[in-house]
Amino acid sequence: MKTAGRSAAGAGDVAAVVAARREMNQRLASTRREGRSWGFAIGCLLVLAALPLLQFAGNFNYVLHMALYTFMYIAMASAWNIVGGYTGYISLGHNVFFGIGGYFSGMILASAGISTLITAPAAGAVAAVFGFLVGLVTLRVRGPSFIISSIALLMIARILFDNWDYVGGSNGLSVPLSTLPVEWAKLPYFYAMLVIAVLSIAASYRIKHSKFGLGLRALSQDEVKAESAGINTKLYKVAAFAISAFFVGMAGAVWGEYLTYIRPNIFLIILVAANMVLMCILGGKGTVTGPIVGAILLIAFNEFFVAYFGASELNILGTGVIMLLALMFFPLGIVGTLARQGRLPRFLDWD
Amino acid sequence: MPELLEVRDAVAGYGGGPAILDGAALTVREGQIECMIGPNGAGKSTLLKAIVGILPLRKGEIRFRGERIDGLQPHEILRKGICFVPQERALFPRMTVRENLRMGGYVLEDRGELERRIDDVLGRFPILRERASQLAGTLSGGQQQMLSMARTLIVRPTLVMLDEPSLGLAPMIVVQMFEIIGMLRAEGITVLLVEQNALMGLRHADWGVVLDLGRTLFEGPAAEILADPRIQDLYLGRRSRAA
Amino acid sequence: MSDALQILILGITLGGVYALMASGLTLIFGVMRIVNLAHPIMIICGAYVAYWLFNLYRVDPILAMPVAAVFMFGVGLVLYQLVFAKEAASAKYSEMTVLLTFAVALVLDGFLGALFSNTQRVTTPPYATDAIVIGDLFIPTAQLYAGLISIALIGALVVFLQFTRMGYAIRATTQNRTAAALLGVNVGFISLVTFAIGVALAGAAGALVSFVFSFFPAKHWEWIAVLMSLVVLGGMGKLMGTIVGAFALSIVAAFVGTYAGATWSTITFFLALFLVLLIRPQGLFGDPIESA
Repeated sequence: MKTAGRSAAGAGDVAAVVAARREMNQRLASTRREGRSWGFAIGCLLVLAALPLLQFAGNFNYVLHMALYTFMYIAMASAWNIVGGYTGYISLGHNVFFGIGGYFSGMILASAGISTLITAPAAGAVAAVFGFLVGLVTLRVRGPSFIISSIALLMIARILFDNWDYVGGSNGLSVPLSTLPVEWAKLPYFYAMLVIAVLSIAASYRIKHSKFGLGLRALSQDEVKAESAGINTKLYKVAAFAISAFFVGMAGAVWGEYLTYIRPNIFLIILVAANMVLMCILGGKGTVTGPIVGAILLIAFNEFFVAYFGASELNILGTGVIMLLALMFFPLGIVGTLARQGRLPRFLDWD
Repeated sequence: MPELLEVRDAVAGYGGGPAILDGAALTVREGQIECMIGPNGAGKSTLLKAIVGILPLRKGEIRFRGERIDGLQPHEILRKGICFVPQERALFPRMTVRENLRMGGYVLEDRGELERRIDDVLGRFPILRERASQLAGTLSGGQQQMLSMARTLIVRPTLVMLDEPSLGLAPMIVVQMFEIIGMLRAEGITVLLVEQNALMGLRHADWGVVLDLGRTLFEGPAAEILADPRIQDLYLGRRSRAA
Repeated sequence: MSDALQILILGITLGGVYALMASGLTLIFGVMRIVNLAHPIMIICGAYVAYWLFNLYRVDPILAMPVAAVFMFGVGLVLYQLVFAKEAASAKYSEMTVLLTFAVALVLDGFLGALFSNTQRVTTPPYATDAIVIGDLFIPTAQLYAGLISIALIGALVVFLQFTRMGYAIRATTQNRTAAALLGVNVGFISLVTFAIGVALAGAAGALVSFVFSFFPAKHWEWIAVLMSLVVLGGMGKLMGTIVGAFALSIVAAFVGTYAGATWSTITFFLALFLVLLIRPQGLFGDPIESA
């Protein structure tokens, strides 16, 4: 009997084969970085927290507004990532929770005068409960059917709120303006959104590095196998959905008061969900820092686009084109692609 | 005269991931039953998939009767005369047994000849003939395997590749499987099979190949491989005796 | 009683139209496992073709239908080659392709909006506002013609799938793509052609729909939810299921719309979707799903 001509694994020596096997397994094991750049994270937080000090130097309302807007989307994209990235269920109607949070806190503000900054957690909880109940129904089906149900849910919400006179129908709710002086009017909302964003990212990070997150990742790859490995996939999925809804709901509550009006054609349009999804894709679905990078990029691009071409149908066209290019050429997103190539800088590596 | 099938230095993997096949080689001689064994993850299924065109080859070449076939699409490779029955059996669950057989002859131009061959095959497999109008998805595991192997007779290929035909089947059914393989050989069809059940596979084969770590480690007459103490130790689970 | 019959007829004719609108969607899903979220905007593309042919050259929308179909067939071929052909081979198939179709939908929406603005359009051939009166029954000709033609087209589609070699190959690819490839079907080519056919069906449906509903680019969001609900209801990828579901739901929606108002008529489709997910997630005709 001859041994194959080009084999390098020691011609016929048993021990050599076993050793070669061990070496190959080691090669296949992934490398993981030790230590996180906590310094960078804390540094960023301090800088952001100090941003409003700019107001002493002049009118930087626009900067504060953009920062606030970005924090909101960072929070929402990060939350979406828990369902879309970790669990693998793409929700294209996720802003239904945004609307629920906004309306809930808005109604309380309009009738009882309690600021959303206080009721936001409650709004988040309401959204989470709703997410839990809906999830029990919609998460029974996989991929395509689930995506469709998420869109249908958004449509139902839109139609319902458009026709519900108690919450103002298609004209929506109006809530009182802030009574603070103009330079500091944005401040409460700025810090509120910053806190929500930090909480959302922290939750995302903790989930990713927990047994829960491992289970989610397992079921995102093969639900049947995960189930037979003993993971209660139904509970995990629905819990992830509810947690995600919580943060999106809170963001909606604060945004409602900040805007001073809550309308279906702002809170319940599919473009908001599309933005969440696109941010995660651009940045890197399933990574911790991906949604952050994606949010900053997309918002920056949007502002640039609007400044040059004006807000119009072209906005939708632009969003679509970016999404198309991102999906076709960078499906792993920026963070994902860098990670795959092994070139991810330390301050972005929190996975 | 070139061998029927020759694989040299094959390198392949899934997606962008690591190379599962890393310099695999294979030779299949016409008229033989050749059995490929090796541990899980060695790349046996991967090699078959590369041969049939489902998986692209990153490096190396595959020759069929001397002609290069790597890079061709599965439907082109079928037309060259290579039939592949994957682990998942590749049946159409919502078509009947007869319709599945008909799909087996998709590439045949002559519809009359196709019907003749279907009748011939049904004749040779009474179990299938009884269930000719039954939906393939409702057949038992053994019957499905029988159907997928019988289907290869419709198109009368030169080479049939079977990926773990005995997987999930009761021992008695496994015996039937190997009888069918014998039937294929009697038709003049060359058979290359991958078997987890190394003992059974090598017992029924003329030639054996051992794949491990993505490479071909040993090759030779099946009986010799079965008897080799090194193989017994590594792949047949027997402790090697001290020399 | 004639009231009920009236509503029933309305539901049936609309059902035919919805069935046609959704059939291309089901076909594409069946073969390529792509949920084409851009399907409704493609229907609107077809509607615009008919609209401009009518307003510029006085071409009857029903005659414009084949033109729209051929035009959209071409669009489908190009779109598939540009965007989807690459994805067809990769692993993360289902998720990414859905998002791709979503992106395409956004692009087409923005493009049409920039080109034609968001004004509501409708083609107005003479029969658009006519009706056939039989005793107490009042049958609007627009819906009737659209419904009948839709049913005829679906019939042609079914015949094509059942009795032609290519239709056979398409059905095989739908049931088991790998098996079909291993038996000699050029699945790449089949996917391309099926996608183009699906888009062509959307175009044809659009031409018909142009005189039944008023349309504008953003309307596709509403149709996405409706058509998708139909597809899920019938069982993903099952043409028969989609057709049955379309008729059934349209009839129910017609009754709901008459007695509860037009708004609730649309919600009927979405509520039916959730009901199906609750009771029978695989849809009427679908294959059982392995786990909940």
